[in-house]
Amino acid sequence: MNDEKIRILVVDDEIGIREGCRIALNMEGYEVDMAEDGLAGLKQFEQNRNYAIALIDLKMPGMGGLELIEKIREQDKDIIMFVITAYATIDTAVEATKRGAYGYIPKPFTPDELILPIKRGIENRALSLEAKRLREERENRLLTAAFERSKSNTIIKCMTDGVLVINRDKQIVLWNEAAHRIIPGCEDLPLPVHLNAISSSDELFSFLNETADVDSDPVIISKEVTIENSVYMVKVSPVIEPEIGTSMGTVAVFRDITALKELETAKSMFVSMVAHEVKRPLGVIEGYLNLVVSGMTGEIPPKQKEIMERSLIRARSLQTMVSELMSLTAMETGKFTIKRVPIDIVKVATNAAESCRDRAKEKEIELALNYDEKAGHEPVLADRAAMMSVFVNLIDNAIKYTPEKGHVDIQVDNTGNYMKVSVRDDGIGMTPEEKDKIFEEFFRARNKFTAKVPGTGLGLSVVKRFVEMHQGKISVETAPGKGSTFTVFIPKWDQAKG
Amino acid sequence: MAAEESTIVVVDDDYDSLEVIKRVLEAFGYKVSGFLDPMEALEHMAKQKPDLVITDLIMKSIDTGLSFSRQIKFDPRFKDIPVILVTAAFTQREIAIQPKGAADLKKMGVDAYFDKPFSPEKLIQKVRELLTRRMEGRGK
Repeated sequence: MNDEKIRILVVDDEIGIREGCRIALNMEGYEVDMAEDGLAGLKQFEQNRNYAIALIDLKMPGMGGLELIEKIREQDKDIIMFVITAYATIDTAVEATKRGAYGYIPKPFTPDELILPIKRGIENRALSLEAKRLREERENRLLTAAFERSKSNTIIKCMTDGVLVINRDKQIVLWNEAAHRIIPGCEDLPLPVHLNAISSSDELFSFLNETADVDSDPVIISKEVTIENSVYMVKVSPVIEPEIGTSMGTVAVFRDITALKELETAKSMFVSMVAHEVKRPLGVIEGYLNLVVSGMTGEIPPKQKEIMERSLIRARSLQTMVSELMSLTAMETGKFTIKRVPIDIVKVATNAAESCRDRAKEKEIELALNYDEKAGHEPVLADRAAMMSVFVNLIDNAIKYTPEKGHVDIQVDNTGNYMKVSVRDDGIGMTPEEKDKIFEEFFRARNKFTAKVPGTGLGLSVVKRFVEMHQGKISVETAPGKGSTFTVFIPKWDQAKG
Repeated sequence: MAAEESTIVVVDDDYDSLEVIKRVLEAFGYKVSGFLDPMEALEHMAKQKPDLVITDLIMKSIDTGLSFSRQIKFDPRFKDIPVILVTAAFTQREIAIQPKGAADLKKMGVDAYFDKPFSPEKLIQKVRELLTRRMEGRGK
């Protein structure tokens, strides 16, 4: 707009004034159109409509200046109009201003007396135009924002997953219809409302309360939560403002996985049924093989004996797998319950080590157990059979994956809130990829060494589940050829809590 | 009394399971009569009293094996016969009937129990122990 020449309309019945204005204004670089009376002026304005300034005489034949000002103002809000008149009185000036004139130039005038107010008028017009542009822009943006927001709101509202947004003050600031359906008794609560309002859903409340401070990105914390007979996978992630990079709160998404859980239960029940059916015939096969191998049915040639022995080993490993499958499915279907009583973890670890001593001896592996005499015997709250299974599994694994004449060390430490049991071997170790998968069901590291080691790929899954059922932790440190150390943490018995 | 002269009754409703136990015992020189049905075993015992009984829990109905063992202990003719329970059922954690200690065993009417699969050596060891104890008891 600035590149265009500024156009000025001059309306006056005196040709001298018209020409004088034209010359003075042309010299300043403005373009000038002229009209000799009100009607002609209006016609000229309506043809062009791009005048920045109009200079209008008050006293003209036909349509007067005041009427023209009024008519132009109706059609153009931005034009700057000056009244030029020889009959300058306060009253006419006020009247002209009321009808839309910007200023007042008394006749006669010098070129400077004309140009200066016009320049001011042009600046003023530019300012008001810019202000108008900004205002329009802002209004447009607001409109777009409002539209976008209502669009997102509609989308969130229509989602089948429940959505809940919590700010840093642990207040719920947004939730959708699905969240209302899922969380009992929250439909009528006005927002924002403190998280305490949903504390009747105990499990959900404590999960959201604990995760409300999460602010590292990217992090998603998920948990299965049961609310009124339905199971939901609740995933919590921080809401990060992209420009600032800090968390403004958390967003929790609820997905109904009840049907999925039912399928999982059906799968577990099927596996459990198969395992139970397989157990007895397997026992018989093992029994028969044992009879033959032990020579109770008479002498057998060494070659056949060796084959029978290998079969016996595989039958036993299959039996272990079946028992572990039964434990896993029992845990999955919730039928497996642990009975936690105060127990001496050193004693359990010692018993576990003793039960593995024969196997260690066969491979001439040195099996050692160390603990602090004073602090070692502080009780943990645990299921004795489950703990026994954990340690036997870990020690047995250590022996299996350590070559002959190696070492397996069991160390029991008291770390304050936990008792820590480490099982360290100087065996074959694991690659980082193997380490990542070691607790997965049916995973077994495959290499020259492990090919000869019978195993099920279930032992460590069972161990991990057992440890987690005790609110414990299990971790592993390992490198190929450097051995492995499995560390288990089990919470100590807090006598105050019972 | 030498081992060869001791007679043992074995009850298991699975033919092969029965066969495995029978052959282990026979390998150590015991005289064994095997039965798939506890009722037949009782009929046989009335005619020929054994020195020891080994029974499966027999899951046809929930505790056929246990009512069998209690029947033995209740019968004045048989109550001095040691009973060993051999079962796979105890490893099923859903059925928490694993006996813990002597009191539980007594309640169940058995003198010892083994999880299946059992170690033949340990079974034989227990059989010998129970037979010896019984003979000593009779000697008094």
